[in-house]
This record gives sequence, C-alpha cells and structure tokens, in this order.
Amino acid sequence: METEPIKKVSGGKITFITLICIISAALIYYSIMSMMSPERELSRLKSLPGVITDEKNPVDQRIFTDSAYLKMLRQKSFLQSRSLMAETDSIYFIVNLSDSTANLEISGVSVHETKIKSFRISSILMKGDEYPILTMFSTPLTIANSFATIKKEPVMIKMAPKDTSEYKPDVMPDTSIVEPVNFKLEMTNGIILYVYQEEKEKAADRISFRRFDISDRVTDTWNSVKSVAQFKIPQYHPFIKLIIPRSDAKIIYRALPKKGQIAVYR
Amino acid sequence: MGDDKILNEEQLSGTEKTTENQTPGEKGDITSINTPFLSKLRLNVKLFLLLRTVFFFFITIITALFIIIFFLFIVPILQENASVKKTEIANNKDFKKGADYKKQVGLLTKDIQRLTRKYNTYTSGLSYIVINTTDNRFFLYKNKKLIREGFCSTGSLMMLKTEKGKAWVFKTPRGKRWIQGKITNPSWRRPDWSFIEEGSPVPSKDDPSRYESGVLGDYALGIGDGFLIHGTIYKRFLGMPVTHGCVRLNDEDLEVVYNTLNIGSKVYIF
Repeated sequence: METEPIKKVSGGKITFITLICIISAALIYYSIMSMMSPERELSRLKSLPGVITDEKNPVDQRIFTDSAYLKMLRQKSFLQSRSLMAETDSIYFIVNLSDSTANLEISGVSVHETKIKSFRISSILMKGDEYPILTMFSTPLTIANSFATIKKEPVMIKMAPKDTSEYKPDVMPDTSIVEPVNFKLEMTNGIILYVYQEEKEKAADRISFRRFDISDRVTDTWNSVKSVAQFKIPQYHPFIKLIIPRSDAKIIYRALPKKGQIAVYR
Repeated sequence: MGDDKILNEEQLSGTEKTTENQTPGEKGDITSINTPFLSKLRLNVKLFLLLRTVFFFFITIITALFIIIFFLFIVPILQENASVKKTEIANNKDFKKGADYKKQVGLLTKDIQRLTRKYNTYTSGLSYIVINTTDNRFFLYKNKKLIREGFCSTGSLMMLKTEKGKAWVFKTPRGKRWIQGKITNPSWRRPDWSFIEEGSPVPSKDDPSRYESGVLGDYALGIGDGFLIHGTIYKRFLGMPVTHGCVRLNDEDLEVVYNTLNIGSKVYIF
C-alpha cells in the first residue's frame, strides 16, 4: 500500500518566514507608534501654560469654532509675537505664510524681505486645534540649534607676520564661489524650520540638498527607532519648510543670532 | 535514466540531502518553481548556484532598500496623514448675535488696533541706514522711503593671531546701533593690530606714526565701540568683505549718508 510522502519543510524556509514575520511586525509596530506621535504632540501643546483658558472668566468654547474670530486671534497672536521681538535690539525673522513673504527685522524695522517660492507645513500646525497652536505662536519661537550646509561665520585665521619681510597684503576675496544653502533651525518648543534654496539646476545643488535631507531624516529616524525600541511613542517635531532664493537664504542664516527668534503667521 | 534527473544536493553543497523521489522543484527553498527550464538549469550545477546566489543577493538588497525607504520616507508621510483632531468651524449665527461673542470680538479688535499702532511706531520717519554685511550693500532711508542704495565694504571675518596668543576678529557688529558722532576730514589713529598685521613693531600710544590722514575719506560717522562709517582709497574692494569691522563707502555715497544722517540716527546692520 502506497503512502503519501510527508512534505518536509526545510530549516531555511522556516527561518526565512520567521524573519519576514518579525520584520513585518516590527515595521507595523513602528508605524503605529509613529502615527500616534502627532496626536501626543498636540496634547502636549494643549497642556502648555497659557493654553488652558481662564477659569475665573470662562469663555464660551463655541467662539473657537468661529472663523472670523479665529482670523482675528491669528492676527493678534502674530502682532503680539512681533512686538515682543521688536523690543529687543537684535535681528529676528518673520515668516508670513499667508502672503508668502519672509522678513528680517530689527526693532520693528524691516531690513530684508524675500518672497517664499513655496512652503510645506506640518498637518498638526495646519489642521490641529487652532487655539493651542495660536497660543504657541503668540510668543516668539526661539532657536535652540541650527544645522546648515554653510558656515554661520566663515572666519579665516591668519597668523601675524614676524616682521615686515613676511608681510603679504590681503588678496581680493573670491566672491565667485557659490555654495548651496540649506539649513534647519530647531526651536526650543520642538518646531523645526527648514529653509531650502530655490535653485536646483546644478548637480552640486541637488546633491547638497539630498545629502542634507537624508542626513536629517536618518537622525530623526534613529531617534524614533530608539524611542520605539524602549516602547515609547517617538518625539514628533512639527515643521515648516520654506523654499526661497539662495542669496536670501544665505543672508537670513548668517544674520540670525544663534539663539535668534522667529514669528510665524499662517 | 530517471536517476540522472535527480539532483544530489549533497554533491552540490555538501550540506543538504535530497531523497531519490524528490524532484528539484520539491526541494523546499524559495526558488522551488517546478518548471522544465529550472529543472534543466539545475543540471548545470555551477550556473544554478551562481544564479541562486545572485537571486538571494538582489532579494536582500531590495528588502534592505525597502526597509530604508520605509523608515526614511514612508513613515513620515504616514505621520503627516495621521488623524489630528481638526477645529470644526461652526460659524453659529445665533451665537454670533449674542452679547458674549460681541464682547470678545470687541476686546480682540481693541488689542489688534493697539498692537498695530505700537508696531507702526517702530519704523521711524527719521533717516536711517540699513547695512547688509552678507552682500556688502547699504540702503539709506528718509521719511520711510529708500533714497539711496549702493555697495559698501564690511568686516572680512578674518581672525588675526599672534604667536603670543593675542587675537582679533575683523567683524562688523550686527544689530541696532546709532550715529554717535560725525567728523569731517577724519584722520585714522592706527590701532595695535594694524602694525601687527604688517609685522611692524607696535609704537607707543601717542606716537605720531599712529596717525594717518586721507585714508578714511572726507567724512566719518561713529557708530560706537570704535566702529565707523567712512570713505576708502580701496574703491575696487567695494561690495566685498575686506574691512577690519568698519563700513566703507565710496565718496559720493558717503557724502549723501553724512548729510542725511544725524547724531542719533539709527543704523541697522544685518
């Protein structure tokens, strides 16, 4: 009597299937945790001081669903933030997404203006609850860290000659060198402002942009993976991405102080 | 004859065994697609192993690439599309008619008007100058209107170091300053770094060799901390960062700037 041969499953196949399952599970878990992070960030913003409405003088919450009121609130929040910065003597940056302009100002005087070619903004800042977002924007955003493809202050070191025979007069600086300009400014409240140059015709510009973008994504992903590995929801950083002409991007990056301030109107 | 078609894996790799009844297609690995082509291919042992290695290599590369793209690009897109509670705009007409709404809108309108008035006062109707140190350009304003613009020279961002460890950074200060003094036919009192830069011995403080006339142009405007807006004999360097921190202008621009700005006029440098 013939018996049906028992199909043997090889060890390699089991390992392969197990590996696929583990990788898929890890990817799904990571995706879910990452997708939970924007909502958690919004909850954090809501819990910030100043966002919780005054209990002694309660305001009817329906007012925050009125578009005309919200528009005025947005205007007030922006003016408030600008006024605070104008009281200082240092240089600050104004981003007006509503009319696509970006300005450098000193004490309320606009010293440099540029047109924003295009921009992208985090869904949390665009769609999230208006009131906490507006409260956050009613005070200036302060730069905590910055990263760029150019130096903030390109200081060149020159050793003093020992005597007059060693002295060489300064040569004319080479102003024809055009460096790609892309930078990101991390704010103390977690928001990140990215500024990319508009010009991408040259291969060097595209390579610089890709390198800058990829290195930023790798850093961000690595931090997220570390959090998820510890079963924590990763940190979500709301962002604003601006594309402006290279020359303006360079001026803005070099002019802004290391701990400079920014106001955003959206 | 049939035995010829059976592939003895032990002979091939020395690690795995196949039974006599097992065809190559039933081997159990992921390449087990039972087609005549593959069966023929398996007879060519070396080619088969090479193709299998190449296949696994590409599968590994593609999987790794997918994982990288997933982490770097797909997850951020998913994050952005994750549901965030959106403010629902109701625009309730009955509520808008209420006294509470009108009161809140009134308060907000007053605040906006107050802040706008306050902000407008910051831009002075008086004369002021704006200096762009990145592009080495200046912009002169009077009554909130641009009356002159042109090239200037600002700090070279050079750091002069001596063997003894002394250092100077030739940088134009940024931010808000004001005109603190106006001089005609200025002469330059050379600071220590001016001698050190040339490798000359540094003379005493009141030594006559420290004083040079004619190098600063016809006018100079002091902006504090020893920094000046002045003329230059190096006109070909205008538009370039070559100075020791002062702002150099050509003769015509300098005259207009001197005649437009008064002591106390604002100087905005960025």
